[in-house]
Amino acid sequence: MKKEHKILLQDRAKKLSMEPGVSDSGREFMDVITFSLSTETYAIESVFVREVYPLKTYTLLPGTPDFILGIINVRGQILSVTNLKKFFHLPEAGIGELNKVIIVSNGLMEFGILADVVHGTRRIAKNIIQQAPPTISGVGADYLLGVTSGSIIVLNIQAILEDKSIIVDIEVN
Amino acid sequence: MRFFNNLSTRTKLILGFGLLWLILAIVIVIADLVIIDVTNSEKELNKVHLHSVLMTEKLRFVMDQQRVSILQLLLTEDKAKQDSLIKGIKGRAGLSSILVDSLRLLNSESDFLLKLSKIDSIRDNYRKTREIQIGLVEKGEIKQARDLGLGIQELRFDTISKIISDLSKDTQKAMDDQVARDKEESQDSRYLFIIMAAVGLLGGILLVMLMNIAIVVPLNKLSILAEKISGRNDLNADIPVQNRKDEIGRLGKAFKQMLENLRGSTTDISQLEETVNHRTHELSSILKEVKDTVNVLAATSSEILAASTQVATGAVQTAASITETSTTVEEVRQAAQLSSQKAAEVSENAHHVVQISQDGQKAVDETVHGMDHIRQQMELIAQAIIKLSEQSQSIGGIIASVSDVADQSNLLAVNAAIEAAKAGEQGKGFAVVAQEIKSLAEQSKKATNQVRTILFDVQKATSAAVMAAEQGNKAVEAGVKQSIQAGEAINILAVSTQEAANVATQIVASSKQQLIGMDQIGVAIRTINQAGGENAASMKQVKQSAQDLNELGLKLKALVANSKF
Repeated sequence: MKKEHKILLQDRAKKLSMEPGVSDSGREFMDVITFSLSTETYAIESVFVREVYPLKTYTLLPGTPDFILGIINVRGQILSVTNLKKFFHLPEAGIGELNKVIIVSNGLMEFGILADVVHGTRRIAKNIIQQAPPTISGVGADYLLGVTSGSIIVLNIQAILEDKSIIVDIEVN
Repeated sequence: MRFFNNLSTRTKLILGFGLLWLILAIVIVIADLVIIDVTNSEKELNKVHLHSVLMTEKLRFVMDQQRVSILQLLLTEDKAKQDSLIKGIKGRAGLSSILVDSLRLLNSESDFLLKLSKIDSIRDNYRKTREIQIGLVEKGEIKQARDLGLGIQELRFDTISKIISDLSKDTQKAMDDQVARDKEESQDSRYLFIIMAAVGLLGGILLVMLMNIAIVVPLNKLSILAEKISGRNDLNADIPVQNRKDEIGRLGKAFKQMLENLRGSTTDISQLEETVNHRTHELSSILKEVKDTVNVLAATSSEILAASTQVATGAVQTAASITETSTTVEEVRQAAQLSSQKAAEVSENAHHVVQISQDGQKAVDETVHGMDHIRQQMELIAQAIIKLSEQSQSIGGIIASVSDVADQSNLLAVNAAIEAAKAGEQGKGFAVVAQEIKSLAEQSKKATNQVRTILFDVQKATSAAVMAAEQGNKAVEAGVKQSIQAGEAINILAVSTQEAANVATQIVASSKQQLIGMDQIGVAIRTINQAGGENAASMKQVKQSAQDLNELGLKLKALVANSKF
């Protein structure tokens, strides 16, 4: 085999090993975690995700809003678990497994999000995220970054983390 | 005497000995009474009179002693002696009165008591005076006391002694009287006993004589008579008639009757001759009757001749029919032989059928056994299937846990990817590894899902198999039941074919017997045939004999006609 042939073949192999159709050149990407909740697929930017945890037991808390499922114990740390459907006032359609918790954190705020199936990480180009029309769903536009071409709803998890309404501070008289 | 003779011998004996026993009993009773009387008298003598004499003598002795003491007292001057004497007198003072009281209790005769009271009254005075004397002696006026003692006291004492000796004498006299009386009484009773014994002895002798007259004498007379009759056949001896009702009278009467009977039997012989004459007459009349009979015999013999001729012809006819019968019997015999052969065939067939049915029964038994084996196998299969189903259940559990593990590894992969993303450019390689782990987890998840589907199918199949095994079990059970029924049916068939075989054997035996019987009949018929021939021959002889008889009858008739009676 000639040397030039060998170089040519190595070149081709390198090209083939790359992700097809997407090139890094001149585009901004974001790493996300995709998960499904009922029939819809959501994505969260992975920098805010601390870990994924299987939901085995949880404890109900009285006197909390209905979007708070309860609290769980993750290796000694007590975290609250939020049901996004309730939070977004989505209808409870279909039966999900709801046995995964995605623990999100921005350094200050830390809580769990309930999920049916966690698909994994993927890289999404920011320019393919389209702004969703406000009429698509009841989710407040503040909490959405947009919808990808693969109809993945990308959540603005930073906004949710920083939202005051998720902080529950109710005193019962 | 006549009344005595009429009594039976037993009564006579009882009466005689009873009388003797009565006399003996009377003697015993009287003797007993006399002995008791004498004993009582002796007792009284001993107790009353002897004691009375002894007491009186004792009283006299006591009185004498007192008197002596007083006199000694009067004579002595010594004071000490006086004191001792006075003491002695006072000590003995009560004795005499005790003795008098005892006497009073012992003898209650009035004369005796009167004398005792006299003694008492005198003794009272005597004692009082004695007291005075003692008082005087103590005062020392002995002279005065002596006067008293020799005067009135001596008189009194003499009187008392006299009365006491009287008493003693009286008592002794009474004793003597009593002894005399006893003696007299015993003498009397002796006489009485002698008289009684004499009477008893006399009665005994009389009784013996009476028995001799009443029983022995007539018996002797009868025995002498019996010797006369038996020894010399003297039937003319006369028997004295005794009008007695006891055994001897009855014996005499029976004896007399016997003698009369003996006399009567001698008169019968003379009547015999007369009877013989009478019989001879009767014989002649019988001979006449014989003549008539011979006539009848002649007639009858000619009738017999005719009849025997008829019988001879009958015998010939019989011989012909016997020959016919013989042919028929031969035919029947052949038929019997045929039936015997057929029956033997039937019997053989029946035995064959029995053999087959036994084989069938054996086969059915084996079938039942096989069915049982199949049922056991089926049960084993069912158990195995159930076990299999249980194991598939546990496989399901394992699959669930594997699936869980796959889930968890998926989560781990996601977490690893997150960490890799956090690491940025350095974590890229790690992200690839995480991706690989994730895809592996997903594959295993898929595989477990497939296994689960397959397992579900397996479970379905096993439950179907369980059902099938159950049904198979039921079918096998039904098969067992049916084969048992078939066995029973074949058993019944075997029993009935056995019976049929037995019947066939019996038929064979009886048809053989029939054949033998037929042979025997043939033989018998032949014998009869022969006998018929012989019969005909002998009939001829009979005919000849009848003719001879006829001639004989005629001759007899002539002979009887010539006889004179």
